[in-house]
Amino acid sequence: MASQSLPIVPNRVKPRLRGWKSLLTHQTFRRIVQLAFALFILIVTLQHVLAGESSSNVTASPEAFCPFGGLETLYKYLTSDGNFVSHTHLSNVVVLVAVLVTALLARSAFCGWICPLGFIQDLVGSFSAFLRKRFPSLRRAMTSLKARGARLAFLDRYLRLVKYAVLAWAVIGAAVYGVMVFRNYDPWSALINIAEFSFTPGIVVLGITLVASFFVERPWCRYACSSGAASGLLGKFSPVYLKRESDACKVCKVCTTACPMGLPVHTATTIKSADCIGCLECVGACPREGALEVKIGIPLIGQ
Amino acid sequence: MRIKPYSFGILVLAIFLGTILAFQAAGIWSTSGKMTGSGESVQPSADDVNTIKGWMTLDQIVKTYNVALAELLAQFILPADTPASTAIKDLESDVFSVTELRSWLQSRMQPAKPDATATPIQQATSTPAVMITIEPITTPLPTEHVAADKTVTGKATFQDLLDWKVPEEAIRQIIGGDLPAPTTVIKDYVTQKGLEFAPVKAALQVEVDKTK
Repeated sequence: MASQSLPIVPNRVKPRLRGWKSLLTHQTFRRIVQLAFALFILIVTLQHVLAGESSSNVTASPEAFCPFGGLETLYKYLTSDGNFVSHTHLSNVVVLVAVLVTALLARSAFCGWICPLGFIQDLVGSFSAFLRKRFPSLRRAMTSLKARGARLAFLDRYLRLVKYAVLAWAVIGAAVYGVMVFRNYDPWSALINIAEFSFTPGIVVLGITLVASFFVERPWCRYACSSGAASGLLGKFSPVYLKRESDACKVCKVCTTACPMGLPVHTATTIKSADCIGCLECVGACPREGALEVKIGIPLIGQ
Repeated sequence: MRIKPYSFGILVLAIFLGTILAFQAAGIWSTSGKMTGSGESVQPSADDVNTIKGWMTLDQIVKTYNVALAELLAQFILPADTPASTAIKDLESDVFSVTELRSWLQSRMQPAKPDATATPIQQATSTPAVMITIEPITTPLPTEHVAADKTVTGKATFQDLLDWKVPEEAIRQIIGGDLPAPTTVIKDYVTQKGLEFAPVKAALQVEVDKTK
């Protein structure tokens, strides 16, 4: 009955957009937003590197915009009269609050629409897809590799829990020791401080993440991103969710294939997983009108 | 209720940027400890010693609190030729720290009651009655760390201790373990082990003093 009030009729194939109109999609809009935030961080990084630490012209460090820095410094900020853990500032706390408010209202959409590290992984994944399309032999090799790796698929659900352990380690470590215990292992920190030319474990983690992105979409977000873990947990209370209308859905699995987080969208009725990053790639890929939609409902329950 | 994917993207941006802009509008924003939300350089306030930060220079302190550099250096037994451009945190020792400096300046301020008619802003921005002449810097500025003559500060490394001929055995006993990489900052190492830096620093300083 509820579907009768919708302006679109379910069970109909979406019209195929051609030419420049095919660019007017929410996926293009998402890429533009991601690119804008990545460029912003790049400009901040270049300004900071060019000005130098000891310059009289004080520039913001790109680390000042990291929400995870806010999470690590939050305990000290609240318990020591507004002081911060090294390398963090008030802006980290504010960006963290913005991420958490976004999560509370729109799930982990920060990860899907804004996070520059997610964007970089998306770029590597897209490059991989391009190469597979262009070189059939590479496609066959990767399909074969994927088939062999399918036996290890059961590990996926356990590996996804690692990010919660990283979250606990980083936050508790920072609270107990008063320093960012995770910073040396953080690929994002390694990337924005790459001009320091210091070899840290974070550089290794960054390299592994980029190489893995070639084979698995968003590996850091899936398995190790503590910021995404916090955002995903809070997103559980968000009123926004994805709804799959089983009447309109033909279970073609295009949505599941499109999901960068590897969620089984085609088998769910409502997608409320903490791992969903709200990128809406599944909605864009779905060929049928009204089969997969973004909805606002009652938090936790949906509907 | 259904939301279009485009509207969802706009909603996400509005929430995220809106929250940040709201904080910025309320003045709750700073990307550096050295500048305010409006991008101006943070200066110590003449009527609040708690605004003194470790990265501030002696120059800023003597100008703001109307105190002679020589008097300040003598008070904390710091070398008389210490450049005015030296950051406070680079001079930390047993007798000198940001906290000690704040306490001393506070005690100096107490006898002189502030002008009741002047607003705090006027007090903070008023020109000091006595102009202090800061001697020009004659020595090149250090790139990282200026330790006062063999003084264990918050930036001292284990390499510094070794350079000062402190026996490795003595260091091991004080930190309660093997020596980490020599370039490790002592304060970071001690803090990570969950220990208080002050007693360790004092014990190390005793060992350093033995070598003088």
